[in-house]
Amino acid sequence: MGPATSRCTYRLQNPNHHAACAHGEAVGRCWVIGLAIKTENLSKVYTHDATGRPVGLMDLSLEVEEGQIFGLLGPNGSGKTTTLKLLLGLIFPTSGSGEIFGHPLGSNAYKERIGFLPEGPYFYEHLNGIELLQFYGALFGMGGSQLNARIEELLHLVGMWDRRFIRVRNYSRGMRQRIGAAQALINDPDLLFLDELTSGLDPIGAMEMHKLLMSLRDRGKTLFLCSHLLKDMEPLCDKVIILNQGRQCEMGRVDDLLRVEGQVRLELTGVSEEFAAKLKASADEVMVRDHLTVALFGTQSAALESAQAAAAAGATIAHLGAHQRTLEEVFIAAVGGDE
Amino acid sequence: MLPVIRVARATFHEAWRRRFLNGILVFAILIIGSSWLFAYLQPGAELQMVIDIGLGSIRFFGMLIAVFLGTRLVPDEMERRTIHTILAKPVSRAQFLIGKFAGGAITIAANLILMGLAFYAVFAIKAPAFVAEKPEDALIFQAMYGNIAKAILLSFFEMFLVLGIAVVASVIFTWVLSVITTFVLYFVGQMADLFQQLSDPERGAGLFARIVLGAAYRLLPHFEIFDMREAILQGIYVPWTTLAKTAGQGAAYLIVVLLIGYLVFNEREV
Repeated sequence: MGPATSRCTYRLQNPNHHAACAHGEAVGRCWVIGLAIKTENLSKVYTHDATGRPVGLMDLSLEVEEGQIFGLLGPNGSGKTTTLKLLLGLIFPTSGSGEIFGHPLGSNAYKERIGFLPEGPYFYEHLNGIELLQFYGALFGMGGSQLNARIEELLHLVGMWDRRFIRVRNYSRGMRQRIGAAQALINDPDLLFLDELTSGLDPIGAMEMHKLLMSLRDRGKTLFLCSHLLKDMEPLCDKVIILNQGRQCEMGRVDDLLRVEGQVRLELTGVSEEFAAKLKASADEVMVRDHLTVALFGTQSAALESAQAAAAAGATIAHLGAHQRTLEEVFIAAVGGDE
Repeated sequence: MLPVIRVARATFHEAWRRRFLNGILVFAILIIGSSWLFAYLQPGAELQMVIDIGLGSIRFFGMLIAVFLGTRLVPDEMERRTIHTILAKPVSRAQFLIGKFAGGAITIAANLILMGLAFYAVFAIKAPAFVAEKPEDALIFQAMYGNIAKAILLSFFEMFLVLGIAVVASVIFTWVLSVITTFVLYFVGQMADLFQQLSDPERGAGLFARIVLGAAYRLLPHFEIFDMREAILQGIYVPWTTLAKTAGQGAAYLIVVLLIGYLVFNEREV
């Protein structure tokens, strides 16, 4: 049996699955989970730098379970796009292997079940919204009233119904992103690859897209997100991998990566220089971000003591509690803080 | 099959909007439409001028459209990254390549039809005057209508072959090199028969020259077989079997070219 924290997405698609798979669970309690993506030492070497170090993606090994939201994080040039291209079969690995839904990378067999939204998507400029979705739907063999109904549903979903007759050449960046999301969903895919989904969207548009992602997750879809917007990714992802210079720095469930056992976090504003020096001496670690001073303590008593001292020194206590790192901190620690 | 049709359709709609190609088409129609004006430059050979300029323009401008369209079809998709969303769908690279070629072929066919209609219109307007001058050649003129249609039909196959070479060259080479390669193959292909004659030992060709020229004769596309202007001018009846044989030769060469293109494109990173 797989982890009980995820739902069996296969069962959601196939009500008879629990009977067919014979693993003994009652109806509705099926926890057998398949792997949507699996790679083993997947590498793509484009060239070597002056020091002889390979440039590209090196030894990527990951597993994405069905129904999971998986985040691929990394600074520019870290290998995110290369990873996506390898998974989609647009480029070929130098070494290593990978599978999507059990089919080797590049195979057309899994492309029936995936959707892809590239970063800053480009489409045929002469098509309007409806024609564009008709084009992509036809690539899946869809047509007739089934396709028309799906197109109408998607255009409403991404907020493009009122602009369905506008040609792509006249689209704003946000509109391209919205229609791009619609084309990625045209086949109701089980696995979605989304590269910078909220790129070009205003805050309301970004919020709508996040809602869309959550509704897709609730329907058992697997989401593979590429982004550098760590604050957006943190509440969304079940699991993340951090890449830097083509190498895997960190991978794990978000909860595990953020959790720091036994540390207490004290956040202060209005800290004087004199008190800051005292704080550095008593705390395990002190970070200053804008007007916020964050101090980490190994024990609760030490943290309480410093909080009282801070209040006495005229500082304001913004937060005092169990320490949990942000994804940004995990990211900075993983890539060395230079990015 | 549906993905091929959809890619072809999108390719045609996009190609038909390319201003550069529209410019070539308009210029070609202007030249064809005014071919009878040039006829006065060569008194006594007006008919030859009209046919030479008309059919010559169709072949020349058709070739230009095929080269410049064919060499951009796939590279444009890669540069604009539209290919990523298409190949991420259940569309094989073979289907994509055939779709792009088919869309280009439809575009060229549409261009050739327009140029052919322009030429037919000029010929139909001028022919009565030629018949009036030489009533004894009336039957020859009647045969010419059919031969012109056949000549235009052959130019379809010829331009499809040029397009195929251009598309395949573009997935192998850079754009400039693919344009040069296609032009060279087209013009050298016009002289393919010459290579066979030169490789004749009776003409004093050495062993090395015989091997090289013989290989060139066998490997190069034979574009000269598509030129029917002489037969038309002489009023020779061109049987449909000859036409079918010529089209078949072109089609066979095209299939081999597209197969090479597929093998290269299948390994190409996009």
